[in-house]
Amino acid sequence: MTKTIEGLTAESTEVQAAFRRLLLGLADTKRLLGIRYSDWLLGAPSIEGGIATSSMAQDEWGHARLLYAALKDFGDDPLVLEHEREAAEYASWDPLDRPLPDWAHLIAGVVVVDGALALALEGILEGGYEPLGGRVGKMLGEEEFHQALGAAWFQRLSAGEGEGHQRLQEAVETMLAPTVRCMAPGDDAHERLADRGLILPSSTLRYRLAERLDPLLERVGAQVPTESTLDNDWDARRGRGIGHPEEEAVVRARGDQNRALFVE
Amino acid sequence: MAELTASRSLPVVKAPSSDQALPAHVQSHASGGRDLWTDPLPERPDDPDAVLLELLHEVLDPELPISLVDLGLIYGARLEGGIAHIQLTFTATACPCMEFIREDVRDRLVRETWIEAVEIQEVWDPPWTRDMISDRGRRRLRKLGVGV
Repeated sequence: MTKTIEGLTAESTEVQAAFRRLLLGLADTKRLLGIRYSDWLLGAPSIEGGIATSSMAQDEWGHARLLYAALKDFGDDPLVLEHEREAAEYASWDPLDRPLPDWAHLIAGVVVVDGALALALEGILEGGYEPLGGRVGKMLGEEEFHQALGAAWFQRLSAGEGEGHQRLQEAVETMLAPTVRCMAPGDDAHERLADRGLILPSSTLRYRLAERLDPLLERVGAQVPTESTLDNDWDARRGRGIGHPEEEAVVRARGDQNRALFVE
Repeated sequence: MAELTASRSLPVVKAPSSDQALPAHVQSHASGGRDLWTDPLPERPDDPDAVLLELLHEVLDPELPISLVDLGLIYGARLEGGIAHIQLTFTATACPCMEFIREDVRDRLVRETWIEAVEIQEVWDPPWTRDMISDRGRRRLRKLGVGV
């Protein structure tokens, strides 16, 4: 297929719906991740760490905005996507449904969730869908800094057998499997896109994520799961588990409290 | 060690005005450098595309006092009919100054009688990097103590 808007429009409705699901999931996840990062602007173990979360939150919201804008090509109104949807409609990845309770979870979020998001974007870039190429390239350039910071903190917290190590281990245990499942579910929608050459197959994504993260994750005794585990709690429509982000985060994401002050 | 008492007089430091506080080589204190913008041309120039770039050279970035062109944010400028089509990128996907920059670009160009409207196309390909700053921009930034 020609990897343009016209080419995608000529594809089956199933392929178009699968691509829309993928982009919406990435956009929503980045929006939620930005909120979770911003929660730790104050109260981080160091001022520098807190400031870094502020910068990363800014990046994630910028990426979300570009991805929502890209969904215009699928008939969506970006303003509706950003400001009008209920929590149950969010396609963000499960590990971000609740606030990240401590710095160890935040670092696990940077390494695991943000790392998996970056890999998913790389898969889109390799797929060569033209309207997203330049935007994704810019996003990945910004993501390099996130991963450098995440790796440095991961090594620091995982050193030794103290509380930092234990908390990081718990955070990774909680977040790793559901993150990988959302990034590379191996369900019909995902593989349909892979068959059309628009993204990488789930098996390739999992392999690459393992190659990238396992050297770090092994420090807390974890490994990227290589097999897909879709259970009864998989919501194929949204490409995530059943459930949704807590209401408070969605109220913030939508900007409910400042709705009367919107500037367009 | 001197004891601090309520009666002790402390020196009063008067803050400089905003003009005095800025280095001499920062010449503009208005958004987009608009206090330095030149007067509109009397008529449509022979080479409007080149002139569009010259005009955008007058528009300063809101955070760094060098022009958008020198910062490497302008990817293209052409006039079709009376419409100025500008290809613009930003240094970051969530640049907080996006709206200021768009406004400054529009405001500078529509001062010209031969420009009826401005269409800004946001582009991200190729992604902006510091390599896109011009030599002149680098020299100006170094004067301001910004390493690039």
